[in-house]
Amino acid sequence: MTDYLVFRLYAPLASWGEAAVGETRPTASYPGKSALLGLVGAALGIRRDDDAGQKALREGLAFGVKQRSSGTLMRDYHTVQVPPAKAKVRYSTRKDELSIPKGDLNTILSARDYRCDGLWNVACWLKPGAAWTLAELRQALERPYFCLYLGRKACPPAVPLSPIVVACETLKDALDSEFPPLNGRSDAGEKALRPSKRALYAWEGEIHRLDGSAEGVEHNDIWDMPLNRRRWQFGPRLEYRRVMQDKEGR
Amino acid sequence: MSHFIQLHLLTSYPPANLNRDDLGRPKTALMGGAKRLRVSSQSLKRTWRTSNLFEEALAGHVGTRTKRLGKEVYDQLTKQGVKEKTAIASAEKIAGVFGKLRKVGKGEAHEFEIEQLVHVGPEEREAVNQLITTLAAENREPEDSELKLLRHRPAAADVALFGRMLAAVPEYNVDAACQVAHAITVHAAEVEDDYFTAVDDLNMGDEDRGAAHIGEAGFGAGLFYTYLCIDRRQLVENLNNNQELADKAIAALVEAAVKTSPKGKQNSFGSRAHASYVLAEKGNQQPRSLSMAYLRPVNGQDQSLDAIQRLEVQAQAFDNAYGDGADSRFVVSAEPAYSAPQLSGDVTQGSLDELLAFLRDQ
Repeated sequence: MTDYLVFRLYAPLASWGEAAVGETRPTASYPGKSALLGLVGAALGIRRDDDAGQKALREGLAFGVKQRSSGTLMRDYHTVQVPPAKAKVRYSTRKDELSIPKGDLNTILSARDYRCDGLWNVACWLKPGAAWTLAELRQALERPYFCLYLGRKACPPAVPLSPIVVACETLKDALDSEFPPLNGRSDAGEKALRPSKRALYAWEGEIHRLDGSAEGVEHNDIWDMPLNRRRWQFGPRLEYRRVMQDKEGR
Repeated sequence: MSHFIQLHLLTSYPPANLNRDDLGRPKTALMGGAKRLRVSSQSLKRTWRTSNLFEEALAGHVGTRTKRLGKEVYDQLTKQGVKEKTAIASAEKIAGVFGKLRKVGKGEAHEFEIEQLVHVGPEEREAVNQLITTLAAENREPEDSELKLLRHRPAAADVALFGRMLAAVPEYNVDAACQVAHAITVHAAEVEDDYFTAVDDLNMGDEDRGAAHIGEAGFGAGLFYTYLCIDRRQLVENLNNNQELADKAIAALVEAAVKTSPKGKQNSFGSRAHASYVLAEKGNQQPRSLSMAYLRPVNGQDQSLDAIQRLEVQAQAFDNAYGDGADSRFVVSAEPAYSAPQLSGDVTQGSLDELLAFLRDQ
């Protein structure tokens, strides 16, 4: 038996950033390690420039994700007006920046991808020497230090994360944990989300971790292991994935 | 102190094109499998940040734009009896922190003028004044260590609320204390097309009676749900523990969110609107938006009242299922048919002014 902290993620918009340089900001279909570490780190109040705290997070926690719905892809066309950079001019407010002659303003374009209506269960377990207990993590998620968000600050959770600590035989059992109905009532608000009948499980650690079998498991390196939050550097980690019939699927 | 302040707004817009995509049409998103109109959080924040209301509320905390800081330092120092040579050197050094000094021409009086207008925050001015007092008392020039007058966390409430990211100088970065979600309609909506023509007034129609211009413009009307969450603790921290300014910033933000609208295509649509319903929540619990209330699109004749009812039922359902989502709540309603909140617990109903008082930290 292993203890897991399990919680649920839903928001009308979420964005699980992938490697991005420049004007295209793509999203994965489910949260990666850096997004989940960021979420738990925000709840604990660990700042991006707190190198020791970030290291403890990275080395202490491991995650598995069950994707019940990847949601639909939305591409947001985004423009930002910016004044030209002048070394000796400082703008203190946005109004200040935009009050220069209109012709001098430049426009930056970017295309930002989001997932609409995605639904994910997340299980977190501790690695030896972890700096926190699962109960502490649970408490932090319930009373977070910083605002939580699903990948981007503009994507607040739209359902309480409802973190629980469970002892399970397998990771799959933990990820299959039951949650209260999505809208908190008994009628099926979830129908509107149309969760997939086939769930995607993704996890780190060992290939057998999910349910003891390695059958149908695919894996590759994902470059989302945060190495330095200040410099925005990421290293590779091995991720395992398997698509299975979801017993909760309707 | 309540850690989080959450605001849920319902605002109804007539036909409008508030926030455009790359084709110039209103932005949309899917929710609950139904297409909705959308206004991006970036568009909302820009509207609020650049509103007069926001600037006026924070008057006195937005700093001074000046070229003349050096002259002021020089005058102060000489008035307090500092030697001419020391005063000149000090004024040059201090003004030099804020910007490059203009070269003085032949026969011209030395004004220690900065080449461009620079923005000097109130606490930066305060630091300069303190330094002047020290220098005058000790009759000397400032040392390098004393010239660190630029503050990493300016008291500009704008930056404290919405953050700042400077890739070149990361130590000046400020994490936003306010989280804003994209606003979406509570109902399903399609973007409609306005086919329009324009006549040429000087065309007498003798030969050609056609229009001089034809075009198409996308638009949509809808009742939007907007959610924002203010992390009061972080806001106060960003403002160097200035509680009073934090309260002012929150009040300005809330008033801007309730009363101002994105300005996209205002000349064509004149679509300004005030929120018709506001639910504010205070507490330390994990914040969550209430967009779930509209996962199934609202449809029916009484949209506004239905939307309010759904929002309150949803907040109550979350409370029942997961425990209270907030310690206290406040409702402002401008919907004529609305009578009283259907929420249990500590709930008050009142005006916007009373809401602002409710949000002030007691």
